[in-house]
Amino acid sequence: MSFHSPGTLKAIWIRKLNISKLERFEKFTTKFSNWLNWVAGVAVVAMLGLTVVDIVGAKFFNWPVPGAVEITGFLSVVLISFAIAYTQVLHGHVRVEFFTMRASQRAQGIIGVIIWLLSFALFALLAWQSYKFGRVLQISGEVSPTEEIPFYPFVYGIAFACIPVCLALVVEFLKSLSMAVKK
Amino acid sequence: MSATVIGIIGIVVLLVVFFLGMPVGFTMALVGLVGFCYMVNPQAGLALLARDIWAQFSSYSLTVIPMFVFMGSIAFNSGMSQRLYDAGYSLFGRLRGGLAMTTVAACAGFAAICGSTNASAAAMGRIALPEMRRYHYDNALATGCVAASGSLGILIPPSVIFIVYGLLTEQSIGRLFIAGVFPGIMLAALFIGVIYLICRRHPDFGPAGGPTTWKQKLTGITGVIEVLILFCFVIGGLFLGWFSPTQAGAAGAAGTLVIGLARRKLSWKGFLSAVKDTLQITCMVLVIVAGALIFGHFIAITKIPMALAAWAGGLPIPAAAVMGLIVFIYLVGGCFIDALALIMLTIPIFFPVAMALGFDPIWFGVIIVLVTQMGVITPPVGVNVYVVSGVARDVPLETIFKGAMPFLVAIIIAVAILIAFPQIATFLPSLTMY
Repeated sequence: MSFHSPGTLKAIWIRKLNISKLERFEKFTTKFSNWLNWVAGVAVVAMLGLTVVDIVGAKFFNWPVPGAVEITGFLSVVLISFAIAYTQVLHGHVRVEFFTMRASQRAQGIIGVIIWLLSFALFALLAWQSYKFGRVLQISGEVSPTEEIPFYPFVYGIAFACIPVCLALVVEFLKSLSMAVKK
Repeated sequence: MSATVIGIIGIVVLLVVFFLGMPVGFTMALVGLVGFCYMVNPQAGLALLARDIWAQFSSYSLTVIPMFVFMGSIAFNSGMSQRLYDAGYSLFGRLRGGLAMTTVAACAGFAAICGSTNASAAAMGRIALPEMRRYHYDNALATGCVAASGSLGILIPPSVIFIVYGLLTEQSIGRLFIAGVFPGIMLAALFIGVIYLICRRHPDFGPAGGPTTWKQKLTGITGVIEVLILFCFVIGGLFLGWFSPTQAGAAGAAGTLVIGLARRKLSWKGFLSAVKDTLQITCMVLVIVAGALIFGHFIAITKIPMALAAWAGGLPIPAAAVMGLIVFIYLVGGCFIDALALIMLTIPIFFPVAMALGFDPIWFGVIIVLVTQMGVITPPVGVNVYVVSGVARDVPLETIFKGAMPFLVAIIIAVAILIAFPQIATFLPSLTMY
């Protein structure tokens, strides 16, 4: 039987607690991102359906779907921005891992802390700026030319979609941090 | 500090952060943003970030990417690769090295519905590798030929790389697609030639398969007739101006869906998996595209591309030599950086150079695709080799890289032929009306 001093026990207990908290946080992020990913999935299927109806309508019935081009553009916003977080969760964003692969665990952890912090900063800025831009469009009341659909909800959509991306990046950051400080 | 110096510092920082392992799309956006803030002012830079992202994500012209990716994903998930393989086998099966040649032919066929290299390699690897193993093919030849033939996916239309190139350089996607047809057939023929030569020297590397009856040949060919019809409909429709690129992609995806359902090969699960694949591939590509555009804005205000183009245009060496140098840079760069990221990063810089030297923009697009094909099979970061190693887990990576080398030589020969005879790429697009 091994013996731990009260101090060590406390340290182990804290580490366990932190890991289970991190795991819970990670699970939540994955679920949230996956849910948004399915919203993006609906958008891609809708885009296909809309375009096919538009082609058939235009070629055979001389009735193209009004505003098909702009609606496709709006669907595209949902498709891309709502899929970014889950793609990050799956580590699907292209990275150059060749050089860091060989580094020690601690070095990898330190590098991870830096790059995930920078990535987080980018998406936090994007969320903030998209919200601001959305406000501008909402106040000016800008709408699409044919169907007069307001732009701002979709710009807010981008800002909202940045939230799970930021969460997923925080997960990566914390994982790297624990790698960097591990003894 | 002059604008050029700031630009060069920006590029160096970008490369350093790339190599630290930050996702390339994020890196390009961040470095572009910081650079723009520094050159102009922070307020303008930050406002540009939100506006650029909105403009890209809501752009109709970019929706061509999810539609063609969807087409390829449905084809991937509905077993089209098996029928293409059977058709190829009925043609080449009984020859020495025939199964490897079959793989090349089937990949070329699959490339006609799928626009990415790794999907083609994964689709064909699952079918071709077990077959070649059954006939005791040499591991290096079997895996190398799948990795290399998969790269035909981006040369034979549709092609994600052509789409991205077209969007970045404002060239017609339809003309780029059609330009890839002859070079694609030529490269497939070169690959088959490579296999022939290897098997002549080492007959035990690729034993001949069993003979096929006329009936089998007929079923094989009719099994893929729908692929041919779909290809002609989609690419022809785009070429003739019936469809916008997005519409062509949607027509192709719908057609592939109908074929999959009619042949009872596409399950609900397969469809959902196709949707998911489409989302993740599209998102990965478009995040890089958006990042590259933000970075491109920064690089444009540093005036580096124009300076470089003027400099290259005034060099006292022939234009073909400069082109050779560019290809060499891609060959080396492609070893370390993902092919798509490399293109995004370098097109804004090299495209003006190629134009200043008087090269045809469509032809240059074909060259770019060929160098990308090199990038996906060269060590240490050859995506297709990793895909194949995912299918053939017991074959070491080195063996696959080694097996892909003869095919790399074939691609280099193809580039040389295209530099000597650009008409191979430019003849078909020159027939278009628009």
